[in-house]
Amino acid sequence: MAPVISASSLSKHYGDLKAVDQVSLDVEEGSLFGLLGPNGSGKTTMIRLLTGQVRPTSGSATVLDTDVVTSPVKVRERIGIIPEQETPPSFLTSEEYLAFVGRVRKISAVKEEADWWFEFLEFSDKRDVLCKDLSRGTRQKLMFAQAFLHRPVLALIDEPLINFDPVMQKTVKDYLAEYVRDGGTIFLSTHILEIAEEICSDVAIIHRGRLVHAGPVARILGQRQHLSDFFLEAVGKGSHA
Amino acid sequence: MRELFAVMMKEEWRLHATMFGSISFALFPVLIGAITFMGSLILSFIGEIIPGPTLSFLVHAQFLLLGIMVGGFGLLGQEVMNRRFGQASLVAYSSRTLPLSDRRIFTVFVVKDTVYYIILWVLPVIAGITLAAPWSGLPLSLIGTIALTLSLSFLTGLAVVFFLSTLYTRSMLLLAGVVAAGALFSILLLITGIVDPVCFFPPYALSRSFTVPLLLYSLTALMVPFALSIRFMTTEFPGREMHIPDRFSPLAGHLDRFRSGPTVAKDLLDLRRSGGLVGQTLFSFALPLALIWVTLAVLARVLPDTRLLITFAGVAGIIGATIYTWVTEFDAIAGYTFLPLGTPDLIRSKLATFLLLQPLTLGAVGAGAVISGDYGSLLPAAVLALSVSIYAASVMVWLTGLWPAVMVYDVKVLAASMLLIGPVLLGLIGVASMNSLFAFGSAVLLVPASLFIRGSYRRWESWEVAFT
Ligand SMILES: Nc1ncnc2c1ncn2[C@@H]1O[C@H](COP(=O)(O)OP(=O)(O)O)[C@@H](O)[C@H]1O
Ligand SMILES: [Mg+2]
Repeated sequence: MAPVISASSLSKHYGDLKAVDQVSLDVEEGSLFGLLGPNGSGKTTMIRLLTGQVRPTSGSATVLDTDVVTSPVKVRERIGIIPEQETPPSFLTSEEYLAFVGRVRKISAVKEEADWWFEFLEFSDKRDVLCKDLSRGTRQKLMFAQAFLHRPVLALIDEPLINFDPVMQKTVKDYLAEYVRDGGTIFLSTHILEIAEEICSDVAIIHRGRLVHAGPVARILGQRQHLSDFFLEAVGKGSHA
Repeated sequence: MRELFAVMMKEEWRLHATMFGSISFALFPVLIGAITFMGSLILSFIGEIIPGPTLSFLVHAQFLLLGIMVGGFGLLGQEVMNRRFGQASLVAYSSRTLPLSDRRIFTVFVVKDTVYYIILWVLPVIAGITLAAPWSGLPLSLIGTIALTLSLSFLTGLAVVFFLSTLYTRSMLLLAGVVAAGALFSILLLITGIVDPVCFFPPYALSRSFTVPLLLYSLTALMVPFALSIRFMTTEFPGREMHIPDRFSPLAGHLDRFRSGPTVAKDLLDLRRSGGLVGQTLFSFALPLALIWVTLAVLARVLPDTRLLITFAGVAGIIGATIYTWVTEFDAIAGYTFLPLGTPDLIRSKLATFLLLQPLTLGAVGAGAVISGDYGSLLPAAVLALSVSIYAASVMVWLTGLWPAVMVYDVKVLAASMLLIGPVLLGLIGVASMNSLFAFGSAVLLVPASLFIRGSYRRWESWEVAFT
């Protein structure tokens, strides 16, 4: 079976800066794949490349057997994305925003789907509040809901947990675990190693745009006590580096 | 304070320079200077036809207009920048965490804007006039005065818009009240004949007779609104949490037949709720058009062959085309890129919103017909305005894609758009001035317009937003 995501020598340069440098990786169906790396290592750029939001300087990638460089919109129709920074439009309410995404994505029963998300992420009381008046955490809930609204088979999510409190983090982590159990695939970027250690099946570590490690979490944990030890070593900050 | 000013200036420069390369941007004032230089030369020939005071009035009025438009962008622009780049990314916002009052930051912000746009617009124009002086016959002794009164005209426009938009951010009612009271008071003064009408435009009055009292009067006339704006400016908007029923779904339902239905519905709601629509209509549309009307009316008196309504319709078409900049400007394109929408989808949607707002352009022509009583030319004038607006917008789309506002400062883009729009506009106005029925012919512009638009889909397909 072909991998769900397959990147080959993917690079993105901004002038002299190599934000992503010759990265090749495969993500298998049903995995919860964690992209780890320090701040500014190229995680967000990698997600943008894989979702066709920026064009690679060189290299190629296919997502769900579709070339992202030539058919980005076709890829985005089938996947869900949580961007790192983008927030919903200020002057729409949460409910209206999900209705908007639903129409753009041509979802038929969007109202029912939206209702489920308001219940599940516990923000029904904010459904009729303008997005500009929402707290960061609530906006993050809304962005989470919009990514999964159309029940995609694959979601690429950029630091999806940082604005959540521990209770909500647990809810969301459980959701992601169940989502992959049901056959979905998640590509998640984070610099929080505990999250990766807890939920990811596979990880890749990038540092200064270069892939320094890729493989199952179980294999790493077989060698080291914690993912963090391995990570620090991989990015050259370990005691043996 | 001085550091803050320097940082803000640097930021403004980088913002523009990164978007279209520093060379292209640095050439902008040079281009403005060159245009003025040529304009001065041409005007020295027309000068035989247009009396000196009229010409001087027109040039001062243009500077007032420039101030109004720059001010309108600057202030409404704040909300725009805020949304586009996020609060934290601009110094004006991030410096809120510094031990400085909001008012001081705002003052620095206003001063920075003023200085920046004087360098970008006013100085090049004055340089152009000066360089043309040996040929245009303008006495060099007058240049100092003109430089001053033109700058004052620009600043007056800026001050008036700052003041009006400060009122606007406080309350719509307050703005309406102040404008009505001001208009009433002015009419009273005019009717009773106590004051010379020239006094309503202090810098122009000053250019006609340079006296110290008039200089002080001009300075007061712009310092007072500036001071009041800074005193009453507000950065806090009522923070009450409002509960709003779903208006999106019914609206999008109505637009269901159209491919861009959802995005257009979102834009319309967004524009209306943010107050952007009313603000833009007032400051970037109605105010400039009123001034243009006055200018053209003055011109029509000395150039007997002009048809006021037709000429106005042509110019209104250009202002109407700038509505495309409003609809692209008020939200960040990055907010869509993670949805299954490509740049062509977004261009299509923004154009649809632009078309839905074109009744504004038609309304302006209608108002012109009412004021001039020239109802006979109303229909051809309306067709002319709409065709010019759509054509000019299509040129903008082709040249700048989804980023018309920032790209205007790119010399190449500016020159190309003037070449593509200017001759067409002048030709149409010329032909339609012979017989207003000829204005119907302007509908032909829809053909190149549709070609430009179709071309733009391909041209901008793979463009990346610099600021995401
Ligand atoms: N649009 C851009 N222009 C220039 N440099 C960029 C741009 N986007 C990201 N970068 C740079 O690329 C590098 C990687 O950034 P990013 O992918 O956001 O890292 P991460 O998500 O891992 O923190 C950083 O050095 C960042 O400054
Ligand atoms: Mg990131």
